[in-house]
Amino acid sequence: MTIDRLSGAFLMLLGFFVVWERRVLPLGSASRPGPGYFPLLLAILLILLGAILILRGKDAEKVRALSWPEAQHAAAILGCCLFITLFMETIGYRLTLLLTLGFLFGVMEKIKVWLTLVLTFGFSLGTFWLFDSLLRVPLPRGGWGF
Amino acid sequence: MEATFQNLVLGFATVFTPTNMLYSLAGCLIGTMVGVLPGVGPLAGISMLLPTTFGLDTTSAIILLAGIYYGAMYGGSTTSILMRIPGEAASVMTCIDGYAMARKGRAGPALAIAALGSYIAGTLSVVGLMFLAPPLAQFALGFGPPEYVCLLVCGLVVLSYMTGGSIVKNLSMISLGLMAGMIGIDQMSGYFRFSYGITALGDGVGLVPVAVGLFGISEILATAGSPEIREVLKPRFRDLLPSKQELKDSIGPIGRGTVLGFLIGIIPGSAHIISTFVSYALERRISKHPERFGQGAIEGVAGPESANNAASEGALVPLLALGVPTGPVPAVLLAALMVHGITPGPLFIKEQPVVFWGLIASMYIGNLMLLLLNLPMVGIFVNLLRVPYRILYPTILLFCVVGVYAVNSSMVDVGIMTAMGVLGYLLRKMDFETAPLVLGVVLAPIIEFSFRQALAMSGGSYAIFVERPISAAFLALALIMILLGLKPLIFKKKDWREKLTEAEKT
Repeated sequence: MTIDRLSGAFLMLLGFFVVWERRVLPLGSASRPGPGYFPLLLAILLILLGAILILRGKDAEKVRALSWPEAQHAAAILGCCLFITLFMETIGYRLTLLLTLGFLFGVMEKIKVWLTLVLTFGFSLGTFWLFDSLLRVPLPRGGWGF
Repeated sequence: MEATFQNLVLGFATVFTPTNMLYSLAGCLIGTMVGVLPGVGPLAGISMLLPTTFGLDTTSAIILLAGIYYGAMYGGSTTSILMRIPGEAASVMTCIDGYAMARKGRAGPALAIAALGSYIAGTLSVVGLMFLAPPLAQFALGFGPPEYVCLLVCGLVVLSYMTGGSIVKNLSMISLGLMAGMIGIDQMSGYFRFSYGITALGDGVGLVPVAVGLFGISEILATAGSPEIREVLKPRFRDLLPSKQELKDSIGPIGRGTVLGFLIGIIPGSAHIISTFVSYALERRISKHPERFGQGAIEGVAGPESANNAASEGALVPLLALGVPTGPVPAVLLAALMVHGITPGPLFIKEQPVVFWGLIASMYIGNLMLLLLNLPMVGIFVNLLRVPYRILYPTILLFCVVGVYAVNSSMVDVGIMTAMGVLGYLLRKMDFETAPLVLGVVLAPIIEFSFRQALAMSGGSYAIFVERPISAAFLALALIMILLGLKPLIFKKKDWREKLTEAEKT
């Protein structure tokens, strides 16, 4: 399987998905296009482009030739992003960032403990002070007001 | 001419307040830092710092953000010359001769010529912007919905052609972006589209989370953990002044780079990157000693550095006059303007003269500040490069989160940023360009609205798009670009775009 064929197949699938999902939106007519009209045109375009990629993708690079040397770091960072997304409003900005930065500096990058603590507390509390207190950009405080 | 002069006086009166001068200076300094640090481009920089402008008045905010934008172009040359690492993509060509000069102990003159070229190009381009944007806006006042649809379609197709790589892949990214732009409440009928019960998606997918995800988070995902090889050549400050011969050799390339950069900057696509490649190729082609290129030719620094600065300001012409961003960075600037209640377009210059002319005046001053500050402060910026990436990337992640969350105080936006980060990471692996996707997202509502209006005007006849001369001309240009883009698919021969993409990767 080549990269182009895989991505072409994905684009076609997405196009068909949009065609299916669009059925709840009125299509209208050419003179009065409804909310489903333009998405349908785009979905058809996506299917066509996906098909071209599949048809012309025979000689493209193979999927298994892709290398993922950064996968471990990428997975950890992605996990941190998900953690922030799910918990920042519940436990507050400062605590979320303390945990996230502590994990990235201390566990992933194995930076010295004192430096990890300085960086983690400095950035978490410092950015909260800068944005929330100084610039009046409200950041989540969480259930404990922290 | 007299009106332009009066407006410029108004602009300088706006900027010459202590507050606005301070914001201009801050923007230039932050921009330089953003340009110096590899992995933090102007796009991520502007997006991350957008929340810091919420409390400012509109003019100050735009002055600050524009300073970051063109300051980054200055900063990018420092890492290229001293480390052979482009701080941002537009400095790739500067690496070749700039680093070769640094290895010969001529880092100082290379930095000085890069700064001087950037200053001259930046200043002259503002003159171009000042004279070109108002008449273009006046001309665009006659555009109806069909012209707007065709202009935007043409812009997107030109972008996908000029971006490099496969035009089919680029067009798919545009379609994907337009599709993402369909999410939310339909502005004409009030229907919720593709929002799956998530109320926060009613306003649609925001540009800031998409841009930060695709450019900021995906960069972190792709580069974190990679080995750091950072040999920083220290510039010899006593040798900062270029020789007479170096100055003489740089005048022509700076002039040509400025004109080329400004003109290419107006065209959609990765203009600031392309302009540097074109400028470098031109200088080598017309040089009496082309063999010096790659060995430390000053022309190889002066031309591209002038071109990328001129292009970054040329890109503001269609943004401010037509409301059409030509790349992801102008798109984020557009979003920033909209956050502050300003919609760029044909009426912008007429209705918001203080903001427009204040911005123009701030760019004259900002370019001068960058020239005066950057060279003496190069040592400080070099020290920034000594911060290890393993310390830098968690910090960038933190600013990404704050930047995205603060726009709407929404965790859904942070989720979108994460999803876009993963998508951007996978797209990079699969050789897809992400800039067309961002442009698709930002232009989707305008294209759809104008498209439906145009069809309503014509009673459902698509002929309206080819019957009106201006829209027909835009469509013809788009068609030519598509055919040119498909040429390598048919003849199986590499065109300049593919060669450019390969050169960027090496």
